[in-house]
Amino acid sequence: MSFSDGHKFSDDSKQHLAQIIDNINAGIWEYNITTKDIKWSSGFYTVLGYEPGEIECSNHIFFEHLLYHQDKPAFLAALNQQQNTIAQPLQVRLLTKTSGYHWFESTVKKYHDETGQIMYGSIININQYKQAQTQAAYNDLVYNEAVKIAKLGSWEINTLTMGLSMSKQLYDIYELQNHVKLSLEEAISFFEPQHRPVIKNAIDNTVQFCQPYELELLFRSAKNNVIWVRAKGIPVIDDFGKCITIRGIIQDIDNKKRKNLALESSLNLLTDQNRRLQNFAYIVSHNLRSHTGNLQFMVKLHQETEIEEDRAEIFSHIKSISDSLNTTIDHLNEIVKIQTEIGNERTIIDFETLFNNITSALKSNIEALDAQIDHDFSKCPQISYIPAYMESILQNLLTNSLKYSSPDRKPVVKCYTLKERDHVYLIFEDNGIGIDMERYGDKVFGMYKTFHQNPDAKGIGLFITRNQIEALGGSIKVDSTVNIGTKFTIRLI
Amino acid sequence: MAAEKDEVRICLIDDDQTFTFGFKKLINLKGLSSSLLSFNNGDQAFQWLKNPFNRRQLPDVIFLDINMPVMDGWEFMREFAELKSQLGKKIAIYVLSSSIDLNDIYRAKKIADINDYIFKPVNEFQLSEIVNCLQNNVDHKKNCRYK
Repeated sequence: MSFSDGHKFSDDSKQHLAQIIDNINAGIWEYNITTKDIKWSSGFYTVLGYEPGEIECSNHIFFEHLLYHQDKPAFLAALNQQQNTIAQPLQVRLLTKTSGYHWFESTVKKYHDETGQIMYGSIININQYKQAQTQAAYNDLVYNEAVKIAKLGSWEINTLTMGLSMSKQLYDIYELQNHVKLSLEEAISFFEPQHRPVIKNAIDNTVQFCQPYELELLFRSAKNNVIWVRAKGIPVIDDFGKCITIRGIIQDIDNKKRKNLALESSLNLLTDQNRRLQNFAYIVSHNLRSHTGNLQFMVKLHQETEIEEDRAEIFSHIKSISDSLNTTIDHLNEIVKIQTEIGNERTIIDFETLFNNITSALKSNIEALDAQIDHDFSKCPQISYIPAYMESILQNLLTNSLKYSSPDRKPVVKCYTLKERDHVYLIFEDNGIGIDMERYGDKVFGMYKTFHQNPDAKGIGLFITRNQIEALGGSIKVDSTVNIGTKFTIRLI
Repeated sequence: MAAEKDEVRICLIDDDQTFTFGFKKLINLKGLSSSLLSFNNGDQAFQWLKNPFNRRQLPDVIFLDINMPVMDGWEFMREFAELKSQLGKKIAIYVLSSSIDLNDIYRAKKIADINDYIFKPVNEFQLSEIVNCLQNNVDHKKNCRYK
């Protein structure tokens, strides 16, 4: 028996073929449209879980009992197709004997013979494949949703070619609509300039030393949105321990990061205010106490002393205590004022004008010392600041430089501004007697801290200056060398 | 001079001129001692103590302020710890401060050379008790602690 006679199957060979097909877990059906004759191969029964002949082989059984009702239109459509078109395999659900509906793939073919038009086809159980496909589609959906919720994009770098491939979600973070292929350099160029070397370095380290990295960086998307992202990369190594691939993610953490930064800055603000409060409490506890203590002391002595001369002397001390008390209360008032004035309106201040006003107010001091006062505000001539603060800052620093000028040389004071990125700096330099930074470094801006036996030293000026600067979010730093000079660097904003 | 030798020598280190005046006055008034040294800050006192020519007139007790310019009380205690072995005499040290800051009090407690911490203004009973105790123990080299 041969399989074929030319290209035509004989009846025998068709049966033989059906037998073969039966063995591969598939079934064959045949339907004669003219005679309404229908035939199912034994494989047809088997794939549905029946013994051959266990159910009636009829159109009615097929359409009404086996075929899932929703798949009926598709099946009928396939049957009614034009004779010559090659039908696509059809996927339908058929009811099995014991395990419910299963997915089957069926072909539909037509031919004519002497009895009329005949249709035939095979059915193959594809349930496992279909289930796996459904599961995969579901997994995909879950993964995509999760990644979307996490605002996470993934990427991979082949370290041999340094070629970069990016996930669809990463393109979303980049806000690039057409998924144009980016080189590593191009991908890095989306990070803000100050963070580009950071990420570049991290990737280099991963390639060279297999070091994983996790960074939080500023990123500018194609649509010019600046966001904070978490960039994470891990090396994939070969059998020789060399990094062959870097796999990583970029996650949009803008919301959280900005909240964190806001929290951090309010924490700093609170810490500063707390420190000022502690300082305040300390002055109250120490300075006011020392004055009132002295007053009590003097009053007691006054009571116990009979000698008129002594009494007069004691009284003169009581007077000086009263003055000191007044001064201390003025100082406390100034500190309280810093807090209340923070909310005051900032105005545009012209450094040159203000500085000239201050130098002319201190003219007599400057002339008495024959001091040379240089200034240069060309780098940043103006600033938006609280006028009273700026005046007090400039005046305190200038007074300070004059007060601690060296008697051995002509005092030279330089005051200038600098602008760097978003910050404005005010620099104050003098050639005065300087401060021993090793000994007093951290105390320079403390309250009532004086380091020289200068009778004018009160230890309040720099304390107020620092408080004013910090109250507006700036900072002050001092560098000094004894007998060479002092340099104050102030970051105003 | 012989009488002076038996007397308790008192030293005050404080930059507060009013307090210094009052302290001296009180010592005089109560007749506690006629030997009273006073310095404006830690450095002045330290320079004086360091000078070998002053060895014979070393004080028995130092009353030390904390907040002072140039060299404060804490710095003085650091320098004193290194100097004391060369002095050949036990000097009692009392911190005398208007600070009621607990940090200052604990800090003083941790320094072994400090006998006690006294709040300003000093009262005469405290002062005479310390001086009298020292007077009694001038030969015994005992510590006096005000309770």
